[in-house]
Amino acid sequence: MMQTSKPLVGNSFKLGYRFQRYWDTSMAIAFFSAEVGAGLFLVSFFLDHVPGMIVGLLVAGTLKPYFHLAHMGVPQKSWRAILRPDRSWISRGALAVALMIGCGVVYLLERTYGLGSAIGLGPAVMTAVGYGAVIGALVVVFYQGLAMAHSESFTLWANPLVPLSSGCYAFTAGSLLALVIGSQSISAEQLGMLRGLSIILLLIDACVLAGIVVIARNKSPGGAFSVNLLLNGEYSSLFRYVVIFLGLLVPLVLLLVSQHFVAVSLAALLMLSGFFCYRVLLFKAAVFEPITHDLAGSIGLPRIS
Amino acid sequence: MARMGMVFDLKACIGCNACVVACKQENSVPDGVFFTRTLSYEYGEYPGVKRVYIPTICNQCEDAPCEKVCPSGATYTRADGIVMVDRDKCIGCSSCAVACPYDMRTMLDPSVLEKGLFGTGELTPFERDGYGRYTAGTAVKCDFCSQRVDAGLRPACVETCPTNARIFGDLDDANSAPSALIRKRNGRQPLPEKGTKPKVYYVD
Repeated sequence: MMQTSKPLVGNSFKLGYRFQRYWDTSMAIAFFSAEVGAGLFLVSFFLDHVPGMIVGLLVAGTLKPYFHLAHMGVPQKSWRAILRPDRSWISRGALAVALMIGCGVVYLLERTYGLGSAIGLGPAVMTAVGYGAVIGALVVVFYQGLAMAHSESFTLWANPLVPLSSGCYAFTAGSLLALVIGSQSISAEQLGMLRGLSIILLLIDACVLAGIVVIARNKSPGGAFSVNLLLNGEYSSLFRYVVIFLGLLVPLVLLLVSQHFVAVSLAALLMLSGFFCYRVLLFKAAVFEPITHDLAGSIGLPRIS
Repeated sequence: MARMGMVFDLKACIGCNACVVACKQENSVPDGVFFTRTLSYEYGEYPGVKRVYIPTICNQCEDAPCEKVCPSGATYTRADGIVMVDRDKCIGCSSCAVACPYDMRTMLDPSVLEKGLFGTGELTPFERDGYGRYTAGTAVKCDFCSQRVDAGLRPACVETCPTNARIFGDLDDANSAPSALIRKRNGRQPLPEKGTKPKVYYVD
């Protein structure tokens, strides 16, 4: 039977696919800045590179809360977001951000000005504070992807590779930014290690992205619809040329052929652009499934394609 | 305790949308917001084109994903199974809206409560009286007209339906109208693969 109704129905009273419209560009910026900042902080922490840690905390500690609060319908009550860490990834993430920023600031004050010693806190305590910030940052890097993967509404999101992509992209951004920020202050050996790590992570990012697309396409008609939007539909130009080509392929080639600061900086900028575009497109291409997918068989309706 | 649910008879629904209007009136639902919709679907080739009408509503899921993801505890389930939103606790994060597989939640934009139905910025007496139950920026949805259920009445949409396409009652009561209908005509839940255990069923 031929379906005469169009599949994408917007807000009309018709059966079909509807776009996700609640998490918008503001949330995409909040997600992006949290992951980039936390990724940079983690990479810099393990390199013991204070400027990188400072920039990471600044990015995650200012842009993430600002844009997340801008998205909230009732921002003056946003403190309530921490009340359900037993069930909600949003609560867990809010606490993790606070842990990362709080412990991170104290740790950096100790590293920069010897705060711990000044107020009588021993090195063991300050080390624990530092690792508290690391734990917080690790949660921040993955929790947004986990919150998305937890939502069964959108096949494109309900994918175990989505939180993995959050983490991989975060560490890729962190290592590339550390290469740029630490080009004069990090040792040559560490810079070489960072460059190798960035190359490996870019390859992993590409594989994870491919996995997300393949799984979504085969999991449900809604997933296939979203993938079609990304590969052949209205978002295909952005996905192919910005996310994949400029965001992954070009930075990979730049890192492989050159170690020059300009090439590395360009690779970082392009990668970040591709990452941000990926974040936005994940929100834009997600669609609600029509409710008749299971009813169709019982009441003789053709599936919406 | 009761487990309130609903059955939609797809053979009876004529797509008049009287249910939508009744809901709007009973709950002072603002412009552009719908707690229930009757969706149409056309299929077939000329001259055999057909159209079917499918009512949709919050499914008051037993395993409600909106309740699980809510970080502030604003979304909760009553003892009778009706899923509610406490507007005083809601922070408007829209996690519930993206968690609902059925797209039956709406985030209330402040401008909707301010500009009114006629877009003049001046609310009608009906709107002034009704909008007080809403807080801008929070999540809103169908709650089976809980105020009517508490008074022993049926939801407004059920009461209004001219063809008895909406059947409301206690799913734990084997003799209730919805329970009997589900048994007799093989009631199906929408998108059961999502694992939400909706308390709204469809029969054809």
